[in-house]
Amino acid sequence: MATKNVQLPELGEGVTEGELVKWLVKVGDQVKPDQAVAEMMTDKATVEVPSPFGGVVKEILKKEGDVVEVGMAMLSLETDASAGASAPAASAPKSASAPAQAPAAMMAAPATSAKAPASVAAASASGLDVVPPAMDAKVLATPATRRMAREMGVNLNQVRGTGLAGRVTREDVLTAQGGAGAVAAGSPMVAKASIPRPAYQGPAGAVEERVALKGIRKKIAENMQMAKHVVPHFTLMDEANVTALVAMREELKAAGEKAGTKITYLPFVMKALMATIREFPMFNASIDDAAQEIVYKKYFNLGFAADTPNGLLVPVIKHADQKTVLELSREIIDLAKRARDGKLALDEMKGATITITNIGSVGGQYATPIINHPEVAILGMYKIQEKPVIKRDASGAMSLDSIKTMNFTITADHRLIDGAVAANFLKAFITRIENPGVLMLDMM
Amino acid sequence: MALNFDVVVIGAGPGGYVCAIRSAQMGLKTAIVEREYMGGVCLNVGCIPSKALITAGHFLHKMQHNASEMGLKVPGEVGVDMAQMQKWKKSVCDRMAGGVEQLLKGNSVTILKGEASFKSATEISVKSSTGTESVVAKNFVIATGSRPIEIPGFAFDEKLVLSSTGGLAQTEKLKSLVVIGGGYIGLEIGSMLANFGTKVTVVEANKGLLVGLADAECVQVVQRKLKKSGVDVLLEAKAKGWKKDGSGVAVTVEVGGKEQVLKAEKVLVTVGRRPNSDQANLKGIGLAIDEKGFVKVNAQRRTNIANIFAIGDVACQPMLAHKASHEGVMVAEIIAGQKRAYEVKTVPSVIFVDPEIAAAGMTEEEAKAAGYTDLKIGKFPFGANGRAVSLMETDGFVKVIADAKTHIVLGVHIVGPEASNLISEAALAVEMGARLEDLALTIHPHPTLGETMMEAAEATLGHAIHIIQKPLGAKPGTPRAHA
Repeated sequence: MATKNVQLPELGEGVTEGELVKWLVKVGDQVKPDQAVAEMMTDKATVEVPSPFGGVVKEILKKEGDVVEVGMAMLSLETDASAGASAPAASAPKSASAPAQAPAAMMAAPATSAKAPASVAAASASGLDVVPPAMDAKVLATPATRRMAREMGVNLNQVRGTGLAGRVTREDVLTAQGGAGAVAAGSPMVAKASIPRPAYQGPAGAVEERVALKGIRKKIAENMQMAKHVVPHFTLMDEANVTALVAMREELKAAGEKAGTKITYLPFVMKALMATIREFPMFNASIDDAAQEIVYKKYFNLGFAADTPNGLLVPVIKHADQKTVLELSREIIDLAKRARDGKLALDEMKGATITITNIGSVGGQYATPIINHPEVAILGMYKIQEKPVIKRDASGAMSLDSIKTMNFTITADHRLIDGAVAANFLKAFITRIENPGVLMLDMM
Repeated sequence: MALNFDVVVIGAGPGGYVCAIRSAQMGLKTAIVEREYMGGVCLNVGCIPSKALITAGHFLHKMQHNASEMGLKVPGEVGVDMAQMQKWKKSVCDRMAGGVEQLLKGNSVTILKGEASFKSATEISVKSSTGTESVVAKNFVIATGSRPIEIPGFAFDEKLVLSSTGGLAQTEKLKSLVVIGGGYIGLEIGSMLANFGTKVTVVEANKGLLVGLADAECVQVVQRKLKKSGVDVLLEAKAKGWKKDGSGVAVTVEVGGKEQVLKAEKVLVTVGRRPNSDQANLKGIGLAIDEKGFVKVNAQRRTNIANIFAIGDVACQPMLAHKASHEGVMVAEIIAGQKRAYEVKTVPSVIFVDPEIAAAGMTEEEAKAAGYTDLKIGKFPFGANGRAVSLMETDGFVKVIADAKTHIVLGVHIVGPEASNLISEAALAVEMGARLEDLALTIHPHPTLGETMMEAAEATLGHAIHIIQKPLGAKPGTPRAHA
């Protein structure tokens, strides 16, 4: 009989802690190896934490709502190494091999040290890692700065010091904070420190409620502030006649249902966007501020904004250019559902090269979206409306007709994309949307 | 019913008691288990009593050697009453240990006197003369320290074969003593007893004294002084065994392949200390122990069992009280949910030999091994310092090692009067990443020993005032002070 602690494993690159949302087990429950025991919300997503080994829950060490660091013990399990009466015989060999299967980060004390000294050594070598790692001897930072970095979760070994002789200053740490988060590694952390953090003080006696800015909300706040701070935005708006697109989609609806999926307008917009950014590669690029270089991406990953109970998430369809309308439809439905349920994996929200926001499905004629930095453009699509137009026949006689319209916006990073370029881009995009048959020409 | 705590610290030495106090300060329900003395080895049979006796020895030495020149007349010979000295030493220790107990109580730390043994990762038993108690806690901190290493053939009886504990408890003046091990403990006790008139012979297996513990140039100064005060040093010598010789001992040593016998009243064995990781059933609950006997810990001093931490001598080198205290505070804060890790650039060391040696940061060899190829090294002698001259303690120097490119101070090594009290400035310089100019341009008060630090930094830059150096113009390529 031994007690082992289940520790919070590594949840993903740059993630050092999470908020315990919900326990999935209670004291006395029998847990199987790899069974999910808790739901954790990180700054990127909600994930399920598996137990690396089986046993009976002896003690729950953290409360729902607690912030748990990677490596901290979450609960203890009573493991029955001697396979007592209550343990099913079949589980014996399984538990014997459990230490080998368990990821190193989720190591626990072995029941008997004499039996497996090698595995203890191997496990503790990686399992005892402190995140972020302790400062290297060569890093120059004062003790007070070191402590601040530790408290902020900033890895001093990766901060480029701007002080004398490469000294990492307090400001360098403040600048680096947030760098380890959702923003892709290597993306420029431009002048983050200069963003003011004004306090808010309400009128005396006013009824107000204060809630910690944390988790996904905090990450959204940081990302938006960063994007608005770094990127000079501008937005161009236009209307497209989507009568043909509506007809085409009506026609394909049945085929989609036959194939087991619902076809919306989004995959067509995606197809038109992919074809247009092939023509305008600067829309599928990033600016590396640190290196002062423009990075043109030769791959096409499409992010689409999804409204979820926890806030805005941007799932990514990888290599969207290589997928059919049917495949895109299926993937959109799947990703959107899992985004709402908080079940997206972290890498399903990474690596977009351009993003579409479909805020029009909720309402609004036009919006001025914020670019998902380090991308350089975001396409907005809005609701379909029926509008009267004046039609002229060959004889020049006028009559009233009805068409379907849809508004689009392109928001771009003016550092890279000039207004005229964006206007040409939007024109080329709308030509494709208005003539969905043309999309066939771009089909891969 | 078992007692229940948030944190139980095992061992009330300088790591453990500090950890328990901080833990209580953080609002955690805390207990500390101690089997022997409050304050541990440090306060009772280590740092504090040895410093009391060394101070007395130093005082005696000055009375014998400096007093008459200063114009102080001491009629007759200065007598030494070892029994009284032990009483005084005990009063110093008791006062400090009593202070620890008061601090613990004042912070509402529960003191459990007895021997701890782990039953599981969340429960220990504490065995005392009054019975055995079960204690449950969410977190444990192992601060059980270390003990002197015994070598084959020299089992400690504390009568003829002494450990450091026995060496510090002599109530009568020893005529002669063989010290096996020329490390800092052996030399501190050996030279202290030599001051009281004991004929001391040091037997050291290495090629030099204090190998790996201090800068070689600093050691030379001490070695000269040892010779002057009549201490014999046998290097590359191996202690083979001992026999009773009348009321004393005859120790057989092998030097250069030849055996010789050293006769003395007693023999002191100070060949190092070993972590107490073989106690308290640490292995029984699966705690990982490394090949040197230290409990395996990470940069947060967390063991392979997440709710158990280890600090001080039982966790890792260097086995120094101040490192243990730093870890104690850190671990208490980690348990309280703060983000902390052991991230220090240096653990300063002090050796209370005559003259004292103290160091912070890297030695020249260490700096080179760390990749600093181009070093600036400067020295300033105490002989050129007014305060040292007035103290009649002019042996020694301050040595500063800096990176030639950036002038960042990498290490400071002091041998000389009050080196132990001077080193803290150097430790701050190393931690802050100070440059030579930072030390040199800080006004140091006159007349103090501390001026040597400023002058040594100036000397490293090539232009100390109180020693003759080359003209400033003769140093091409010197970086501008504020480049």
